[in-house]
Amino acid sequence: MSEESLSYEQARAELVSVVEKLETGGATLEESLALWERGEKLADTCQAWLDGARERLEKARAAGAE
Amino acid sequence: MTETQQEREGAVKAPSPEAPWPVRVVSQKIGEWVGRLGWVWAEGEIAQITKRPGSPLVFITLRDMSADISVTLTVPRRFVEAAEPPLVQGGRVIVHGKPQWYAGRGTLSLGVDDIRAVGLGELLARLQRLKKMLAAEGLFDPARKRPLPFLPRRIGLITGRASAAEKDVLENARLRFPAADFRVINVPVQGASAVPAVLDALASMEADPDIEVIVLARGGGSVEDLLPWSDEALCRAVFACKTPIVAAIGHETDNPLVDYVADVRASTPTDAAKRVVPDFSEELRALSMARRRLDLAMNGLLDREQHRLDAVRSRPCLAQPASIVDGRQSEVDESLRRARHALSGRIASAVDSLSHVRARLRALSPQATLDRGYAIVQQADGSVLRAAAEANAGDVLRVRLAEGEIHATVKE
Repeated sequence: MSEESLSYEQARAELVSVVEKLETGGATLEESLALWERGEKLADTCQAWLDGARERLEKARAAGAE
Repeated sequence: MTETQQEREGAVKAPSPEAPWPVRVVSQKIGEWVGRLGWVWAEGEIAQITKRPGSPLVFITLRDMSADISVTLTVPRRFVEAAEPPLVQGGRVIVHGKPQWYAGRGTLSLGVDDIRAVGLGELLARLQRLKKMLAAEGLFDPARKRPLPFLPRRIGLITGRASAAEKDVLENARLRFPAADFRVINVPVQGASAVPAVLDALASMEADPDIEVIVLARGGGSVEDLLPWSDEALCRAVFACKTPIVAAIGHETDNPLVDYVADVRASTPTDAAKRVVPDFSEELRALSMARRRLDLAMNGLLDREQHRLDAVRSRPCLAQPASIVDGRQSEVDESLRRARHALSGRIASAVDSLSHVRARLRALSPQATLDRGYAIVQQADGSVLRAAAEANAGDVLRVRLAEGEIHATVKE
């Protein structure tokens, strides 16, 4: 599943599991790099969700204040 | 028929000793006179009730309240039996009757079609009966009451023209909710024309899809004035309405039957206004409070999630992704160092052994012999000249000395 279509919760859950795998070690360098890249993307996805939510909140708040 | 007509013609002439009237004519004349009085209402006290088994009529002697004068009533048995409260000797009643002459026995009585106990009154008694019946049919059943809409698109108001009730409902509703939309139908609120007018108004409002609640409003009045609001047809129409109905008829102590049938019974027209529209400012306040709580909740949620995300991102494997490589880099460096270390040792020993080999090589070379003054003579093809016979005159020979070489030509 591409990270764009993940919900916030899905992305965060996968991110946590990626981090755990990285911290446990045992993966090959190539695997570790792939995990890290995946983790970065997942973290970006989570952040995008949060930013989007904040933006919508601000918009709604601004509209409500009018 | 012919005989009757003759008698009527005969009646025009005054009777005389020569031409007296027969008894039947006299009796008929009396009957005609008595009949002219027509229907009357009369009040009196029951002196005696006579029920004859099997007879459809009950005979009641009705006595004047203040004079010793009586009149006989003939009352259909069912009226007597249905009377509520029951008719008793000595009770005061109001009757509706018409004088009747019984030719057979030459007696006079009031043929009664309505008899009611004074005090409660037949009307009130009838209301009680109707109330019992409607209650038994389930018209007052709380389970059948429909809830009022929270904010009706339009409110139907059926009330008297320019009445205080109309003003109370409209003003109070708009005070609470300025945008309240009303359709008002004015009707007579008492008297015989009230019920049909209210029925028409109800039907018209039922047909209006925008009207989501109907208010029946009327101020206080006498028991008689409020009677239309207990009418059976009206009660049934209200019960049959699909639109919820609020009744505000009379004062709190008045209990017209429509109050029981209506979905909501308001104590006054002002109360009815409060029931049909929400308080606008109150709703606004609640709404803004809900908004604030919504805001707080969302902010809290976002902040919490941001913290969780930040916490995950700050883990070394994500915060310093170089560490993934660094560990391996140092492994590589270490290996390289060790490899180089190992290699340099090997190289040193190789260099060492090389010089030994070189020394040994040098020891084995002819140089030492040359150093002692020997020379090596080679022919043009590089072969070493070992015997003079191998050389011919004119050959060019290469003479290798300890240091350098010379070329010589063979003379002989």
